[in-house]
Amino acid sequence: MERTRKWRWGVNRWFVLLFIILGAVAAGSYAPVLPHIQLPAEKYSHTPLFTIPVIGPFYWTNTLTAMVLADILLLLLALVVRRAATSGELIPRGIAGAVEGLLEVIYNLTESTAGKWAKSIFPYFATITLLVLVVNWMELIPGVDSIGILEESEHGFPVKEVAPGIATIVKADAGEENAGEAEHAGYSLIPYVRVLSTDLNFTVGLALVSVVMTQVFGFRALGAGYFSKFINVGGLFKRPIFGVIDFGVGLLELISEISKILSFSFRLFGNIFAGSVLLFVIGTLVPVFAQSIFLMLEFAVGLIQAVVFGMLTMVFMAQATAGHGDHGDEHAH
Amino acid sequence: MEVAAAKLIGAGLAMIGTIGAGLGIGVLVNGAVQGIARNPDASGNVQTNMILGIAFAEAVAIYCLVVALLILFVG
Repeated sequence: MERTRKWRWGVNRWFVLLFIILGAVAAGSYAPVLPHIQLPAEKYSHTPLFTIPVIGPFYWTNTLTAMVLADILLLLLALVVRRAATSGELIPRGIAGAVEGLLEVIYNLTESTAGKWAKSIFPYFATITLLVLVVNWMELIPGVDSIGILEESEHGFPVKEVAPGIATIVKADAGEENAGEAEHAGYSLIPYVRVLSTDLNFTVGLALVSVVMTQVFGFRALGAGYFSKFINVGGLFKRPIFGVIDFGVGLLELISEISKILSFSFRLFGNIFAGSVLLFVIGTLVPVFAQSIFLMLEFAVGLIQAVVFGMLTMVFMAQATAGHGDHGDEHAH
Repeated sequence: MEVAAAKLIGAGLAMIGTIGAGLGIGVLVNGAVQGIARNPDASGNVQTNMILGIAFAEAVAIYCLVVALLILFVG
């Protein structure tokens, strides 16, 4: 056991040094440029792929590619874990072991919070956590956000050919030899893949799934009585003054339910988008080595946001199934 | 005033709201750590609730961040 756990420091540190030197050389010859940051996902082409009659034109964006990639990764993960689970070995190793550990933690957390509903709430918790985790960690792969199509735009930078067919954007003062081409229009980069969480469509979609399924669980657990939490007319005639207050509280519950969508989606979006902007800025300011420290930070942020998204979903679902009884729900979120 | 300059100032001002979230998270973790110190057996439960509370407090800071990002990068 001791021998397999030993890191090959003697060899690996030379690799680290080699990559730092390579990074320094690359940054010296082609200084990184702060890209033009935009909030909506970049489209691959300006002509729509097809047009849906009522909804409008449909573009293929780079975050959609990220979605497809994340789905493929998750399916591969599922296949690997399935093979490990059916192989008959009692102790899962490698990725399967990591997944088992994560799911065990998630299931124990669900069981301690949701009680008998744990079996039906657990899939949502696990799915959301795994999907958001994979999507967030795609930010750490080199090439995401930095390899793509060059396109003319008004915010552009001059380009320089590195190798035949491969070009890079350079700083405006460095690209003097092809200033003739660059003076009327610069080029900007449209990455092939952009982190999915930096697209509000994804986070709002996930938040909608989470909040709508919370209502479904509440309805399944409490029947039609669940909706008396929102439109509370029960006490309106029996106790006029407190009945009106209860009615108002019910309306506030409705508003807080809607604001959950907002807070879910903006929490994930804000964290990851700010993280990728931070990586851009650090990569431009200190091109060598400093970014790896912030990559560690983003690693942690991605994990925490994934777990928080899933855990909040689970807690809201557990609260919805628990029944509100008679005004027992003082800690309204 | 130049629009670009006003945008930068506005983004900076929007981030003032994060003071509240910082204070909130500080108070929250203070309480949680004291709770764990008094009753280490309950640490798992306390931690779960602490992370939930942090997520709620942090959401406000994230709103500020999103407003600042919207000011900077949209339009």
